[in-house]
Amino acid sequence: MSWLEGLFKRRRVYAELSEEIREHLQEKIEELLATGMSRKEAAAAARREFGNVALIEEDSREVWRWPSMEDLATDVRYGLRILPKRPTFTLTVVLTLAIGIGGNTAMFTLIRAVLLKPLEYRDPDRLVSLSLKDFHQNKRDGSFTLKRVDEMRASSKAFSAIGAFLKLPENISLSGRREPEALVGARVSANFLDILNVKPRLGRSFLEEEDAPGAPPVAMISGRLWRRVFQGDPQVVGKTATLNATPHIIIGVLPDNFAFPFVGTDIWMARPAEWSVIPPAARPHVTILNGFARLQPQVSLQQAQAELDVLNRQYVLANPDRLDAGPGVSIEVASLKDQFVANVRPTLWMLFGAVGFVLLIACANVAGLLLAQANSRLREFAVRATLGAAGGRLVRQLLVESLMLAVAGGSMGWLLAKYALYAVRHLTALQLPRVGEIRPDSMVLGYAVVLSIATGILFGLFPSLQVLRRDLTAELRESGAGAGGGSSARPRILGIHARGILVVGQISLSIVLLIGAMLLIKSFARLRSVDPGFHSANLLTMKITLPPARYDTGQKRNTFFGDLLERLASVPGVQNAAVALSLPTTKDWLGTNVSVEGQPVVDGAARFESITPGTFRSLGIPLRRGREFTARDNSPAALPVVIINESFGPTILAGLSARSGPRRTAPTRGPRQNWLGGDRRHRGRCARGRSGHRSRAGVLCSYRGASPANGLPGRAHAG
Amino acid sequence: MGDMILRTLKRQPPDGYALAQHISGTSNDVLQIIEEGSLYPALQRLLKEELVKAEWSISSTHRTYQLTAKGAKHGEHEVSRFENMLEGITGVLAPGES
Repeated sequence: MSWLEGLFKRRRVYAELSEEIREHLQEKIEELLATGMSRKEAAAAARREFGNVALIEEDSREVWRWPSMEDLATDVRYGLRILPKRPTFTLTVVLTLAIGIGGNTAMFTLIRAVLLKPLEYRDPDRLVSLSLKDFHQNKRDGSFTLKRVDEMRASSKAFSAIGAFLKLPENISLSGRREPEALVGARVSANFLDILNVKPRLGRSFLEEEDAPGAPPVAMISGRLWRRVFQGDPQVVGKTATLNATPHIIIGVLPDNFAFPFVGTDIWMARPAEWSVIPPAARPHVTILNGFARLQPQVSLQQAQAELDVLNRQYVLANPDRLDAGPGVSIEVASLKDQFVANVRPTLWMLFGAVGFVLLIACANVAGLLLAQANSRLREFAVRATLGAAGGRLVRQLLVESLMLAVAGGSMGWLLAKYALYAVRHLTALQLPRVGEIRPDSMVLGYAVVLSIATGILFGLFPSLQVLRRDLTAELRESGAGAGGGSSARPRILGIHARGILVVGQISLSIVLLIGAMLLIKSFARLRSVDPGFHSANLLTMKITLPPARYDTGQKRNTFFGDLLERLASVPGVQNAAVALSLPTTKDWLGTNVSVEGQPVVDGAARFESITPGTFRSLGIPLRRGREFTARDNSPAALPVVIINESFGPTILAGLSARSGPRRTAPTRGPRQNWLGGDRRHRGRCARGRSGHRSRAGVLCSYRGASPANGLPGRAHAG
Repeated sequence: MGDMILRTLKRQPPDGYALAQHISGTSNDVLQIIEEGSLYPALQRLLKEELVKAEWSISSTHRTYQLTAKGAKHGEHEVSRFENMLEGITGVLAPGES
């Protein structure tokens, strides 16, 4: 029955009621008249015996109204009176629920912001990522060369625009204002904001001509940097900032929370392939660019994929000698969002499952507490039932109480979630994509409210059912019979059952969680006990960024690091000091091409490391054979030498000799070097295959190769 | 009140006035000290729970009441509940006898 129908039915009922009461009085008056009373007397007597007509009519109408809010208010008042009387119980329940609901709310917010919500750009479904896959080398998220990006741009029709960014964040030093500081920089193609459809907060985006080599140096800055360093100066556009010792004109400020392509980027520069680490001549040919694009309207992902497949085949046929044109190479189009969050998706869902378990356990826990509580309150319920409270009324009272507990727990959980999310937003170490979009909004609030109510009903149901099923009068009779704890004398079948179910459920859920947690801890313990291949004790590290403008030649950089090492070594307590391009166990590493003489070059087959003499000594890595580098190896007259690791031999050498075909040169290296093979220029082997490098290929270590230019960590071994 | 109405209705389908007269006649005049009108809220409650049904008779302007099947069953249950309740109250009022 609809609400309106109900209203009309009520009106009719009220009318009939009035009519009936009038009839009743009429009949009574007539009867009294028959006994000889005057009409006036009879009317008065009839009314007297009937009672207050208006009040009785009102009482009768009351029956048809909705269960009044007043009853509910009474229940709430009763709850407010009774709950603080049991502070330990109330506090335990509220805190337990706060943890359960808070954890769930926080995880829901994360999942929604990171995985579920579309990217906060216009038409986010049209945004795709492009990546190079090499089936033969098992490479999934391979990058493009600038040449390849340019060719895709020139011939593809499926995309309204194709953009690219340097796959790694760059260290950028900002100087000239206050203390010099190191910032995270991104190199992007000039059209990146057009593709994402984002307007700068101030100023303009890059112009197409600013992507050309030799264009004037310009940069965009983050809203964060703008406020922190430039004090939110509205006139900042057009001012000059010294980035990597080169004056750049600031052309625009990006909106807050803009985190493309990396979380925490503060500086954006055009010309994505212009990575200072790579010599200019090699830049068009190295695979360092990640692609992204906006699909044309009406073009589906499949159509775009088909077009790129054709383009890729043409490219492979036209450039058989190129490194990125192997037979197993293909281009993959995927949703930009999926690509963005691919690495955190399983973790987030797993954590969501875990907090779900926590909430279930919390509910079971609270239900157990309420059940015990209800048992001790049976006498109270029995008295109330005897005095006329219906079973439904008692259940409602219990439900109202558990809902009050749930709401209190939910409110605390909400605060907890807000705090947790605040922490997540500010823990940059998490490297969570889309972290700026995480905020508890009305949807999340709704989730928390629904969750609280649902849990309140869930754990309130057990004691309610128990009360309903119990023969309360019998309860009262027995406790009245003097035993006091009369209820315990009877087999409490239902009570035991309900509690038994709760305990079993709780233990099994806890065991699932415990096993999960133990596995994580075990993995962590294993990770800790893994021999990384070097001694990390008493090892200090630091990161040095040399502005390429001031240290533009290898000679200058070598002199700087030579001086640095000399001065470091003279610091009391320092045993050894060395400089390397990247630290062991870090992910940001360079691959290098390798060829055995007479064999084809393998692109990026080995991890490449540039180090100074004494690195192995500092890290405590023993040499299996041969010797470490010496200063003499760096003189221009000396033969180029390398050190390889143990896994280099089996994987690279075996892989190389299995191939055949025309010999290729390695374009990433300016002066070509014969790394290995016929002329036997390598002098030694560096220790273990596992020396901190998780690369499946071996590590190729060279002192002389590329002199470290940028982003160079130094490390000192202190005694 | 509800119980008394149900018990009375078991026998005949009267109108509200007749019900009031009958109850006051059979309940040792309990209703003499209670107002006749208090019959009506109780009747409305029974109507709402569909324990009784009401009809306007065509001949007169009276509204007569009849027990439904549900009402008949409920009446029996209520009697035993009432007895239980009395027993319970007695238990409370005289604790620790045994």
